Amino acid sequence: MKALRYLALWVSAGLFLVPFYLIVRNGLALESEITATSWTLFPASFHWENFTELFSDPAVPMVRSMVNSLVVAVLQTVGQLLFCSLAGYGLARIPYRYSNVVFYAVVATLMIPAAVTFVPTFVVVSTLGWVSDLRGLVIPGLFSGFTAFLFRQYFLNFPHELEEAARIDGLGHWGTFWRIVVPNSRGFFAALGVISFVTSWNQFLWPLVIAQDQDAWTVQVALSTFLTAQSLNVHELFLAAAVSITPLVIVFVALQRFLVRGVTETGIKG
Amino acid sequence: MISRRRLLSASAATVLLAACGSNTGRGNGQALRQWYHAYGEPGVQQAVERYAKSYDKVPVEVQWNPGDYESKLATSLLSGTGPDVFESTLQISAVRSNQIVALDDVISSARDDFTATILAGHTVDGKVYGVPQAVDMQMLFYRKSMFAAAGLQPPSTVDELVEAARKLTSGGVKGLFAGNDGGAAVLGGPALWSAGLDYVTPEHQVGFDDPLAAQAIGKLRDLYSSGALLLGAVKDWAEPDAFTQGLVAMQWTGLWTVPAVQKALGDDFGVLPWPRLNDAGRPSVPVGAFGAMVNAKSSRIDEAKEFVRWLWVERADYQEDFNLSYGFHIPPRASLAAKAAKLQSGQAADAVKFVRDNAKSSNPPDWTSAMRTSYTDAVSRVIRDGAPADAELRTAVSKVRDELKRIYG
Amino acid sequence: MRHSRAFWLFVGPFTAGLAIFVYLPIGWSVLLSFFDARNTVTPSTFVGFANYADMLTDASFLRSLGTFSLFALFVVPLTFVLALALALLVNGIRSMQAFFRSVFFMPFACSYVVASLVWKLSIFNGVRFGLANTVLGWFGAEPIAWTVSTSPPWYWLVLVTLRLWLQLGFYMILFIAGLQRIPRVLYEAASIDGASSGWQTLRFITLPQLRTTSVAVLLLLLVAAYQAFDEFYNVLGAGPFGRPPLLYLYNIALGSGGQDFGHGSAGAVILTLLIAGVTLAHGKVFAR
Repeated sequence: MKALRYLALWVSAGLFLVPFYLIVRNGLALESEITATSWTLFPASFHWENFTELFSDPAVPMVRSMVNSLVVAVLQTVGQLLFCSLAGYGLARIPYRYSNVVFYAVVATLMIPAAVTFVPTFVVVSTLGWVSDLRGLVIPGLFSGFTAFLFRQYFLNFPHELEEAARIDGLGHWGTFWRIVVPNSRGFFAALGVISFVTSWNQFLWPLVIAQDQDAWTVQVALSTFLTAQSLNVHELFLAAAVSITPLVIVFVALQRFLVRGVTETGIKG
Repeated sequence: MISRRRLLSASAATVLLAACGSNTGRGNGQALRQWYHAYGEPGVQQAVERYAKSYDKVPVEVQWNPGDYESKLATSLLSGTGPDVFESTLQISAVRSNQIVALDDVISSARDDFTATILAGHTVDGKVYGVPQAVDMQMLFYRKSMFAAAGLQPPSTVDELVEAARKLTSGGVKGLFAGNDGGAAVLGGPALWSAGLDYVTPEHQVGFDDPLAAQAIGKLRDLYSSGALLLGAVKDWAEPDAFTQGLVAMQWTGLWTVPAVQKALGDDFGVLPWPRLNDAGRPSVPVGAFGAMVNAKSSRIDEAKEFVRWLWVERADYQEDFNLSYGFHIPPRASLAAKAAKLQSGQAADAVKFVRDNAKSSNPPDWTSAMRTSYTDAVSRVIRDGAPADAELRTAVSKVRDELKRIYG
Repeated sequence: MRHSRAFWLFVGPFTAGLAIFVYLPIGWSVLLSFFDARNTVTPSTFVGFANYADMLTDASFLRSLGTFSLFALFVVPLTFVLALALALLVNGIRSMQAFFRSVFFMPFACSYVVASLVWKLSIFNGVRFGLANTVLGWFGAEPIAWTVSTSPPWYWLVLVTLRLWLQLGFYMILFIAGLQRIPRVLYEAASIDGASSGWQTLRFITLPQLRTTSVAVLLLLLVAAYQAFDEFYNVLGAGPFGRPPLLYLYNIALGSGGQDFGHGSAGAVILTLLIAGVTLAHGKVFAR
């Protein structure tokens, strides 16, 4: 029974890792090895010089766009955690007559497809003069109904005793939140932080339209130059993809302990 | 009512978020802004920047746009933050909603020098809205050696083509590659033209409300179900790889692949237009061109028009460089095409001849995206699903008729 | 009074942002759905419910709504069961738990674009040397044009496996979290009562205890199924087969040259109402 369990896990894990292997394999292969002849699991040799090709390609500012993505993702993660945790706490813990109305208004946004409200959003942001501007890239993404919803569910389950103690010490809601609640919720903040970091790093259409100057491209926009190039350069594309997901994989492996513990603490209640 | 509410919200937003930093605006405000989509050939970006730099009346700032250019352009034009000058194909809706300005005075003296089919693609209600920059066209590439080995002649009718594709399919080689969707996206137009039909008639009526259309589309279904088509290749019809690697005997692709095909196959290939179906039809090649346009919301329309005139009408040397030094395009102006050395011989010369004799606009201004979607959907379902062609086309015809009624009344 | 000030201190900044960057555009879209809004977002021709009538009689749109209701019916339970199975497997082992958790969660780092590339170009390309066709070849089968064939519609296999690969890890983590909250005493009590088999504890303890997590996961999965977009766009392109409603609407609103925000917005409102309806129905069924 136990052996069966491990067998099932190893087989599934193998299947889950195949696509990662393919990304790296294609990234380090010759163009002709990807598109032609017979399929081989291992290419004849790994072409590490593909890295030089990628990073010296003038059409694809790889380094610059990775830095941009990093800046945007970090700012967006920090901002999202700030605004959404405050809102989640307020909704969960501060009794207020219209609190339910506000909560339903937040949940409703989860159901509305963003693809069609896209253009009005752009018009709003361009009215503010934020096109090709860091603010345009970061700020509209800060107000995530999803994150606020998860924070609320989490704070509903936050132990009352801790807050009571703070209250006795004379702290108001604001003081309690910053001195007691936040320090005791690091795991959950880390978990949602990772999720918003990944989401922010991987978003495409918004940065494409808002970051018009090449200097403001994020890595996903840079990747799309390969897809629209007149002659598709598959190996460079895959290598760029591998490079673009590396930071995330590192973040995952480093933080996954917090992540799981954090999600465990969410107490998501439908 | 609506606009006031929007105005209020927008100004409230400005006040609320003004604290986040000062508005740096967009560039220095002096330069005209010009947009291109990202051309795949190396060197084009540097070239267009060089042209812009050498314009001495006003500074011009070139912006290079990879990714989904159409969505990005549309969004920017709508919000009023768009470029002053940009390249695009022409859609009648852009004219009707006053997004772009007429350029008849810009093109005036050179009008007759532009290839008529190409210029027609940039004309609505008799007015020119885009100055064509470079012509792209699609045609049929075939392997001479494979045809010779099978004892076949290059096809001159659709039936011969279907027959040849079948006969040339053997072992690891397929007869024809026309895209991973079985040709639905690229052969829908040629199929109509092969039967003497069209998308839309000059009288603004549906051009394929005819039993012949079902027959023409049916031939594409025959190709698909005969197993002679290559499907699901790594690179799609726009890349020559399937053809140069010997996976197929024929491929429908573009003029732009000629240098790569020559390099791989030497002289072992020929080019053809899509053949005719019957005596009513004619061989055809789809042609299209990006044109330079001027944003009607630009605050400097006159300067923008003057720049377009300088670059795309006056500076013939730049137009020649743009068309021939990087990729492989045909200059839209007859005088330039005639003296281009690269286009004097071989397959390129054939292509120039096709454009002169067999050109059909791949995307006429009044063939709207709603029409295109419904027609291509119908063709797709016939080809890949074996749906009855007459019923599918009837749905498309009624949709296109509604659209035409909306546009022309 | 004191509470309301504190409430808005916490919730106010978020609500203001939501109003400007989410509700303002949504309201604007709803307004557009009542106008003839071609190539403009400040239209002047009011058309009432005409756009809605058009969309509700548009065969392609209805077909894609139908297709995706089927898709949801299929992919939601499948993802649910597999994610739960992975969670049970991972949660039940003592060594290497962190390793397996990482492996299954890692695809979450990939964007849909990257995953689509791998699936389309490497695994399921239609020529004889794609990975899937190579495997078929070992068994002597003919190569299949995975993303092209409509009978049988193999493209669903491509898209469903892609979606599973990307999503399973995330939902697995949610389930693991739920599993770890189940009090251990329940299992101990059950074993004393003689409910020894795995199936019995699963059925009578684990599943009932996971109810709240399950409801949340189902809700997220349902919304995600109807809002599918990226991988379909990247793998299938714009053809009529397996075209998500959202992709159809996107083409209407932002497709090449023909920006029609009236019809696009009307379709979005219809889609949203459908999602809300399905969600409420699901809530009625499961939340009792």
